[in-house]
Amino acid sequence: MKPPAWLWPLMWREWRHHPWRHGVALLAVALGVALAFSVHLINNSALAEFSSAVRAANGAPDLTLRGPRAGFDDALFERVASDPAVDTASPVLEVDTHALSDSGSRVAVRVLGIDSLRVPAVALDLLPRPAAGEDRLVFLDPDAAFANPAARSQLGLADGAALRLQSGPGYLTTRLAGSVPVAGLPLLVMDLAAVQQRFGPAARLTRIDLRLAPGTDTATLLARLALPAGVQAVPTDAAEQRVSNLSRAYRVNLTVLALVALFVGAFLVFSVVSLSVAQRTPGLALLGVLGLTAAERRGMVLTECAVVGAVGSVIGLALGSAMAAAALRFMAGDLGGGYFPGITPALQFSLAGALGFGLLGTASAVVGGWWPARQAERIVPAQALKGLGSVDNSSPPAWPGLALLAAGAAAAFAPPIAGLPLAAYAAVAALLFGGVALVPAVVHALLVAVPTPQGALPLLAVQRARFQRRTATAAVAGVVASLALSVALTVMVASFRVGVTDWLGSVLPADLYARAAGSSSATEQAWLTPEFAQQAAAIVGVQKVQGSRNRLLQFAPDRPAVLLAARPLLPDGSSLPLLGAALPAQPGTMGVFVSEAMVSLYGARPGTALELPLGLPGNAGPVRALVRGVFRDYARQFGTVTMDAADYQQLTGDTRINDLALWLAPGADMASVQSALRALMPDPSLLEFAATTELRTLSLRIFDRSFAVTYYLQAVAIAIGLVGIAASLSAQVLARRKEFGLLAHLGLTRRDVVLVVAGEGAAWVAAGTLVGLALGVAISLVLVFVVNPQSFHWTMDLVLPWSRLALLCAAVLVAGVATAAFSARSAAGRSAVLSVKEDW
Amino acid sequence: MLRIHDLGKSFGTTPVFDAVSLELRPGEFTALLGESGVGKSTLLNCIAGLDRADRGTVGINGTELGTLDDDGCARLRRQQLGFVFQAFHVLPHLMVAENVGLPLRLLGRPDERRVATLLADVGLANLGGRFPAQLSGGQLQRVAIARAVVHSPGLILADEPTGNLDPDTAERVLAVLRAQVSGAGAACLLVTHSAAAAARADRVLRLTTRGIVPSP
Repeated sequence: MKPPAWLWPLMWREWRHHPWRHGVALLAVALGVALAFSVHLINNSALAEFSSAVRAANGAPDLTLRGPRAGFDDALFERVASDPAVDTASPVLEVDTHALSDSGSRVAVRVLGIDSLRVPAVALDLLPRPAAGEDRLVFLDPDAAFANPAARSQLGLADGAALRLQSGPGYLTTRLAGSVPVAGLPLLVMDLAAVQQRFGPAARLTRIDLRLAPGTDTATLLARLALPAGVQAVPTDAAEQRVSNLSRAYRVNLTVLALVALFVGAFLVFSVVSLSVAQRTPGLALLGVLGLTAAERRGMVLTECAVVGAVGSVIGLALGSAMAAAALRFMAGDLGGGYFPGITPALQFSLAGALGFGLLGTASAVVGGWWPARQAERIVPAQALKGLGSVDNSSPPAWPGLALLAAGAAAAFAPPIAGLPLAAYAAVAALLFGGVALVPAVVHALLVAVPTPQGALPLLAVQRARFQRRTATAAVAGVVASLALSVALTVMVASFRVGVTDWLGSVLPADLYARAAGSSSATEQAWLTPEFAQQAAAIVGVQKVQGSRNRLLQFAPDRPAVLLAARPLLPDGSSLPLLGAALPAQPGTMGVFVSEAMVSLYGARPGTALELPLGLPGNAGPVRALVRGVFRDYARQFGTVTMDAADYQQLTGDTRINDLALWLAPGADMASVQSALRALMPDPSLLEFAATTELRTLSLRIFDRSFAVTYYLQAVAIAIGLVGIAASLSAQVLARRKEFGLLAHLGLTRRDVVLVVAGEGAAWVAAGTLVGLALGVAISLVLVFVVNPQSFHWTMDLVLPWSRLALLCAAVLVAGVATAAFSARSAAGRSAVLSVKEDW
Repeated sequence: MLRIHDLGKSFGTTPVFDAVSLELRPGEFTALLGESGVGKSTLLNCIAGLDRADRGTVGINGTELGTLDDDGCARLRRQQLGFVFQAFHVLPHLMVAENVGLPLRLLGRPDERRVATLLADVGLANLGGRFPAQLSGGQLQRVAIARAVVHSPGLILADEPTGNLDPDTAERVLAVLRAQVSGAGAACLLVTHSAAAAARADRVLRLTTRGIVPSP
């Protein structure tokens, strides 16, 4: 109910009287909103920038025919271009490689081979702009390259300068002859024939962009074209969708993390408003006597919360926008996920987003204030004016908590929604709230089992804790929630770390790894020859070598590419970190092993057939292979297919390798081996090395750095939980000051009173710790077995680090009891003593 | 049992009472009258060691309060004092018997039989297992009286114990208080506005700004 207008001055005076207290609540809401809104803005801005770059590079065709990443025979182009329904067909060949900057550093670039006479009809931005002094038709020059602003900035080359591009184990030289106005990542545009000739098998294309005659029926056209296997007509937004899908799970997880900040803010509002209501209880009771109804008292408190939420949200939106602008400027829109490297997006302010997050912030404050508002509503004026606090010793029903736990457990088994673990997050929330709601029941169950103590102080503490168990929910809700989150994160991170450590041991069996520099992003242009591998095996100190050919395969136009790794495999696949035994090889059928992501994303279960879009010459179409087993791969969340190198070479004739694993003889000098390997390269700088121990250490360091934020989150969550205990117990101390005054009359010393309050706090915190631990383990099951597989498509075994969990619980218990004792100090103060005789 | 000599107390520059001297002997039931604001409750707080006087001395059973720190005063209250308040002040989360037995537990000598006897003496037999919320005002005040005498203190301070009760109930409660004080052999200082309550005392005094004088 809306409070009467005459209450506004009272509310305003309360805020003026306790500016810091309400300031903390406001700040908590503001920070929660700022964090959530900035993540939203950064993601949207980066996505918008990336999508616009993709649109600029792809143009605005009516239809795109896209083949495998290795390309398709350009004979298709003639057939398509001559179709009467096609107004314009623009052939494109895309090559990912590296260019050398003026400082000698390597810059990842995408080279687009285009037909300059056809491209303006579908992608005007791709039309080369010759530099001053260049011939008007220089775009037909096979040596001419045109750079977009990002490439020009990162390469630092002037027009006319020689431009060196990596191709296999060496560089080829072109000339910077002008520019193309395409935003986004570094891009070079060259003549199609030149790119075909210099970078790959000749007569290949990766896509054909089409402008269709008005009224063309696409289905009829496609039926008439009878596209060869491996070439698909893809919607014009497929590339944007692919970019969006690339980072979607990461973005959603970041957003959920940001929403946890709002959740924490709601808890702070709850704590602060609880304290405020407790302090104002006599005043509220007096207002009750004067005629303010219970519903109006509730409305008054909720209105205060809504105002705090609204003001906090407005501040949060401004702060979030500033944080997003700073992050975009200094972190280039890449929030640590590595999904948008090298772009600096402009801030894209979203009014709808601002409205949504503003409402969310206000709602969180109102939700946080609901319980204290109900407390204000329940005040019995006569009791409150006597300073006796609440005499309600009833226990709230357990069924809502149990129902929430059951709902959480059921939601944990739900499949992903739109490819995201939304139901699992709902499960976590339901488990959390269900556990918090069950705190009074657990306190009751625990204290019922405790015999009534004989000593006065334990008797007072235990009886009070039993009697006011309903209040326990308010006091330890923060501890339950924060400990549950901490336990869940600790278990999840420990499980993941053990999983990654085991996996690293399995996937890094050799002593040393060498690879063509840049092969991680440009496998088609950064490779080593088979002769290099043979020569490497002959180096003194090298016992054995094993090459791996890595290629990116596009299984679906709207999904990120899948890695194909071809390397020597044992017949049973046991060199891979398999999940279960492999199916036996079938004579005459090629077998492959897939990562877990392939099962989630493409249904590639063992025993099923998988069509590999290898882009074989002659438009042979995809290659059918039997999935023989599934292995773990924590490096790639969008899928890996591994096949035996001999099978791959037999199919494709491609004997190039990207990675070389080297086993060294005992006592061999690693530095000498590296020098000898470099000496085998035409350009030694094109070879990169990593020792297994370095890789392992580096991987675990990156892992620990990635999850460092979770430790800060845990610390903040626990601190908020303790603030909740402090505020709640302080509120009770205020509400019960006459009770403590009586104890002083009966001869309890200050220390005795502090011990009694700390004892009550200890009973509740102990119950909260037990609930938090149990809840945390339950939530960790959801994180480990549902959220991770549904978000990133990999699984892990559950690891419960009991010693760390015990330490965490002990720390929370000790901190909680200390906080309770600290809050109890005022209970033993002179004002409490004298309050027994307060005039009422 | 209680010896007060030349006690004075001010709040800032405002004097509350001055030159208060008083002596109570064991078993003596004394009523103290006084106008509102004259400092009756402040005097009780000073006697109990809950507030400090500006000058003068308070001695309880031979112990000078001025020589004790706060904890010492608390321990003295635990052993030597019993309190009865106008607002009853029983702990809502303890049962009636636990409320009554609390002073004994504080002294480390819980005695359920003594508690049961006392509850019967004040007319609350069989109500020991109830919570205070289930009792009437008169019953609550009898709980408070039982609690005040359960540990056989030397001095009972009763501050308007009948102020919240109707005349009949007040009469019965006063009778119980008088009987218990006599039975325990304790001294009792009863602060009241009620002439009827004062009439039950052995001696009636009046607190004025210039000290304690016999009431006419």
